[in-house]
Amino acid sequence: MLCEKCKIREANIQVVEVVGGVKSEHFLCAQCASEMDLSVTAPGMGKEMPLAKLLSSLLSQTMQSEKKDECANVVCPTCGMTYEQFIKESKFGCADCYKVFDLLIGDNIRQLQGSGEHHGKRPKYISGDIPQKVKEDIEESMKENVPESEYLDRLIELRKELRQAVAEEDFEKAAKLRDEIKETEEKAADSALKGGGQDED
Amino acid sequence: MKTKWFEEVGQKRGDNFISSRIRLARNWEEYAFPNRLNPVQASELIGRMQYGLDDVESVEGNHFVTTTMDKLGDLDRLAFKERRLINSTVAEAKTPMGLMISEKEDVSILLNGDDHLRIQYLAPGMQLKEIWKRADKLDDYISSRFNYAFDEKYGYLTSYPTNVGTGMRANVVVHLPLLNKTNEIKELKNGLEKFGVSIRSVYGNDRDNFGSLYDISNTKTLGMSEKEIVDLVVRTSSQLNDREKQIREAGLERNYIVKQDEVFRAYGILKYARTMRLNNALASLSQVRMGLVDGLIELEDGEECSIYKLMLEVQAGNLMLHSERPLDRRELEAFRADYLRHHLPKIKEA
Repeated sequence: MLCEKCKIREANIQVVEVVGGVKSEHFLCAQCASEMDLSVTAPGMGKEMPLAKLLSSLLSQTMQSEKKDECANVVCPTCGMTYEQFIKESKFGCADCYKVFDLLIGDNIRQLQGSGEHHGKRPKYISGDIPQKVKEDIEESMKENVPESEYLDRLIELRKELRQAVAEEDFEKAAKLRDEIKETEEKAADSALKGGGQDED
Repeated sequence: MKTKWFEEVGQKRGDNFISSRIRLARNWEEYAFPNRLNPVQASELIGRMQYGLDDVESVEGNHFVTTTMDKLGDLDRLAFKERRLINSTVAEAKTPMGLMISEKEDVSILLNGDDHLRIQYLAPGMQLKEIWKRADKLDDYISSRFNYAFDEKYGYLTSYPTNVGTGMRANVVVHLPLLNKTNEIKELKNGLEKFGVSIRSVYGNDRDNFGSLYDISNTKTLGMSEKEIVDLVVRTSSQLNDREKQIREAGLERNYIVKQDEVFRAYGILKYARTMRLNNALASLSQVRMGLVDGLIELEDGEECSIYKLMLEVQAGNLMLHSERPLDRRELEAFRADYLRHHLPKIKEA
C-alpha cells in the first residue's frame, strides 16, 4: 500500500488518531509520519526523539492481535519493566530488557533502523579484559573517592549476582536477589538520611 | 574566561558550515537505565561516575566544571539549552542528573539523562571527523572505568531503541539562506530521508526557518559503523554547501546591487532598531552573515566577529543571564536591540 500522504513511498506505519472519541486510521510512510507533529501529544519531548514516538505507534499497532494479552504479561526480571509499559514509553528499563523483549520487538527495531545488527565499534575494554595495571590504577583512584557507605559494596555485589542469575535464566533466584537489593537500598537510604542529620547540632 | 567554541565560528569566504557535533549514548551495566532508577540509586550512580571521571582532564586536556542539574536555576537551564549543552527534555527534567562541561563548552558529559552517559562534542565549522576521533578516545577512556552495557548483536544498549547500536548522532549545521527560499530544500529533505539523513530547521519550523540554519544528522544508529555515519553526514552537508554556493554565485552575477542592498538593509536594521523580536534578529543576522561570506560587505580593519555567536546570544535565556535580571517581553525585545547595537561589528562604508 502506498503512503496516503505523499502517495510515493510504501506505507509502513499505521497511525491511529482518536479525536473526540472518533477513531481514524492513517497509513503513512516513515518520512511523512515523522513530519506529522507527533510531539504535540507529548509536550516536553526533545527534538531528538520523534523516531522514538514513532516506535510507540508502530508497536501499539502490532499489539492489536490476539498476542496482546500474552505479550502484555512479559516482564523483565532485572528491572521490572513490562511490555505494556515499554510500548507506552518507547524506552527500555535496563540492558537485560533487550534480551527479554527481543522476540517481541526485534522485527520492529529492524524495521525502524533498517538493520538488526551492530557494525560499529566495540568497547575497548569489556569486563575481564581490562589490563591488570589499568584495573589497579582505577580501583585505587575509585576507592579514594567513592563516598563511604557500608551498603554500597554489598549492593554492587548483589547487583552483579542478579545480572548473573538473569544471564543464566535462573529467574527464581533473580526475583529473590531483586527483593534483597530493594531492602538493602532502603537501608542505605535510611542511613544516608540519618547521616545527613548529624551536622544539625 | 576561556573563549567558547561558538565564538570561533567565523565567516570565511565560501564557507557555510556553522558547527559539527558528535553525541554518544552509553550505559553502565551495573545499573538499570535512568528511567528505572529511584532517586537514591540515581544519586549513587552520579556520585560514583563523577568520582570515576575525576581525571577526565588528563584525556581531554580541557578544564572541566562538574555540577549537578539541581544546582542550576531555570534560567541557567534555558541558557544551557540555547547553547546546545542540554536538550529540552533535560532542561525540564526534575530527576537527579550530573553535568560535566569543559571550559570551552565544546565537550560535555551528561550523567543520568536519557542514558547514564551522554558524551557530546561540539566544534566550529566542518570538523566532524576530527571530533569523532576525540570522542572515540574519550569513550575508550570511560570504558576502562565503567563496563558499558554492550551486546554483540545490538551494540551499545540505550534506553531508546532508536539510539541502539553505535549510540551515535552526528550533526552538521549549515547556513543555507538562498536554498531556504527555494522549493529545492523540501525536495532534498524528502530524498535524503531515504538515505538515513534528516534535515531540520534549527530555529523555527519547516515552513519558516528563521536564520536559515539547517541541521543535518543521521537518523539510523544500528547497522552502520561510526565512520560510515560520519562520512554520510559530511558528504550530505558538503553537497548542500556546494549547492548553496552555486545558487549564490549565480544570483550575484545576475543582480549584485540588489543582493548588496539586502545585506546593507539587514545591517541597518540590526544597527538602528530599538526593539527586536527573535525571528527578526535571526533573519537579519543571517543576511549579514551571507553578505560577509560572499564579500558583499566587509568588516572594518581589526574588527572580528562571529555572527553565529550573536545568534546564540540573542536568545531569551542568554540575554536574561546577560541582563542579570528577568525581563518581560517588551523589555526583552528592547534589551535584544540594545545588545545587538553594541555587539554588531563595524563595517566599511563602501
